[in-house]
Amino acid sequence: MMVLGEAGLHELLARALKAAPVLAPVRRGRNSYAFAWIEDPAEVALTYPRTVLPPKQAFLPPNEDLLRFQRLPTPAALPVAPRTPLTVFGIHPCDLAAVNQLDWAMQRRHGVTDPSYSARRTSATIIGIECLPDEYCFCTCVGTAGTREGADLFLTPVDGEHVVEVLTEKGESLIASVTQWRDVQTQEQSAFEQWQQRKLDQATCHLEAALEELPDLLSAGYDSSIWEATAARCYSCGTCTNVCPTCFCFDVSDRLDVAQATGVRRRRYDSCQLLEFALVAGGHNFRGDREDRVRHRWFRKFVYLNREYGRPFCVGCGRCSQACTADIDLVAVLNSVVTETRQETAR
Amino acid sequence: MITPDGAPSGSLPHNVYAPEMAQVVRVEDMSWQDRLVEIELPEARDLGHRPGQFVQVSVFGYGEAPISVCSSPAKQGSFELCVRRLGNVTRALHQLAPEDSVGIRGPFGNGFPMDHLAGRDCLVVAGGIGLAPLRSVINSILADRDRYRRLIVLHGTRRAEDILFAEEIAAWQEDPRNEVLVTVDEPTPQWTGHVGVITTLFPKVDVDPANTVVVAMVGPPVMYRFVVLELRKLGIGNDQMYMSLERRMKCGVGKCGHCQIDNRCVCVDGPVFSGTEIVEMHEAV
Repeated sequence: MMVLGEAGLHELLARALKAAPVLAPVRRGRNSYAFAWIEDPAEVALTYPRTVLPPKQAFLPPNEDLLRFQRLPTPAALPVAPRTPLTVFGIHPCDLAAVNQLDWAMQRRHGVTDPSYSARRTSATIIGIECLPDEYCFCTCVGTAGTREGADLFLTPVDGEHVVEVLTEKGESLIASVTQWRDVQTQEQSAFEQWQQRKLDQATCHLEAALEELPDLLSAGYDSSIWEATAARCYSCGTCTNVCPTCFCFDVSDRLDVAQATGVRRRRYDSCQLLEFALVAGGHNFRGDREDRVRHRWFRKFVYLNREYGRPFCVGCGRCSQACTADIDLVAVLNSVVTETRQETAR
Repeated sequence: MITPDGAPSGSLPHNVYAPEMAQVVRVEDMSWQDRLVEIELPEARDLGHRPGQFVQVSVFGYGEAPISVCSSPAKQGSFELCVRRLGNVTRALHQLAPEDSVGIRGPFGNGFPMDHLAGRDCLVVAGGIGLAPLRSVINSILADRDRYRRLIVLHGTRRAEDILFAEEIAAWQEDPRNEVLVTVDEPTPQWTGHVGVITTLFPKVDVDPANTVVVAMVGPPVMYRFVVLELRKLGIGNDQMYMSLERRMKCGVGKCGHCQIDNRCVCVDGPVFSGTEIVEMHEAV
């Protein structure tokens, strides 16, 4: 294994920047961070709790043209601009797990490949970085804390320097261009190996059920009054889904250019928490009650997609709980329903 | 700031969101709010759909809407949609004339289980615009009549002026192997047929419950519940009934999340579900 010091890391970022645009965490406020397209390696925040918005924007931007079209003189579908390669730097293991989940949703689910997502994703280079949990993190509860799959290179901080894991050929060729590095020392190697234990030791989260039990336990709690109680606090603002690294629902609408002869068909993030989400022609709303929308969020993450994908469609990043306007905690609600279901069953 | 999507590099994979341009060949008013639009794909290629499947129809600048194919696969060279004027896209579709272009993606979804209907009595329960996808079933049965036994069609609309495919209904009624009953909720003095919601027609037909398969699309969710109750009274089991459900599919390929019911996507796993599936889903109707 190799170690990159400050100069080596700078060199790695500079190489990456030369090859493609780089999306990396940068400091925005006193304690807020964002993934942004950087110009200079010095902008990058190497240590950060979490960014406000997840890095999914790299592959699934908030707004994206699915199609260009011509309306006049004769209607025709036109190709969209090709996507260029990109690099995502400094992604935490939970967010990396989310990228893997989105890969499944956008590239493999129902056997359909989303062309834009796939073009961005397959051309991307991903460099991960290790982190330590804060009070909102529950990666250690949902099994994403040590994710490496999906990354080309992975960095673990050790004494102000970084131990590098080379995970793919793409990562190999990128790191091969870096000249300033040295071999890992025994002490550093053991610090690297102890990192996952440090995460576990520092984590404060607690999940009342084993991951495999969640679909059945939650399903049994479909009619729980907890959904109503949670809905009574929820504003249906959609912040939770907006900041979620695994949410991928979208709406599609046409926009005409000013001359009205050409235009774009654009998708943008949508949210199951918004009132109009399940509205159909003729006016019926299948989730017109806030309680139904609130329940849908937990069920989609921990029951529906969980059963389809084989694990919760939540990576424990803690963004939704931190960002919630009404201070609704995802894990707390999950635990309440699980506990209630267990008590009901015991009776 | 350096962002992606600047310089081109390589091409995108096949764009599942790009419609194929097709041509309107005929339009016909079906009612004051519904219009039949007949569409021809390039080189008069068959759509290759199954009864009950839908297409995503585009009018550029207005958007895309999921609409059931109302013609039978037996009809070759073109297909038909029955479009109710309800929103921006359907309003734009009502403006189309022959030779106009329209974008088509699909067909999508599973369709009705014609193999299960074969050799059995077919009870078609169609409320309002629900007759559109079911007309595809009916005309498929009529095109291969000996494969099926009795054909019973129950169609209910609010008013007589809402009745769809009136001429075809009259033609279906002429064949003695078919029983076709139509009812309206709000009759005018001129109306001489049945009066009442669609469920009032059930006692008027003699159903052999053991050998009947039901296909239904009946409009608002509450109507589905009443129809299921009536079917149970007739002794029809959940595994003998299939219902097409309405949702606002945006993508048609199981991505956008809009048509999710419990753990199913209507656009991929539906829009047709068996009674057995529907009773298991909390949000179906």
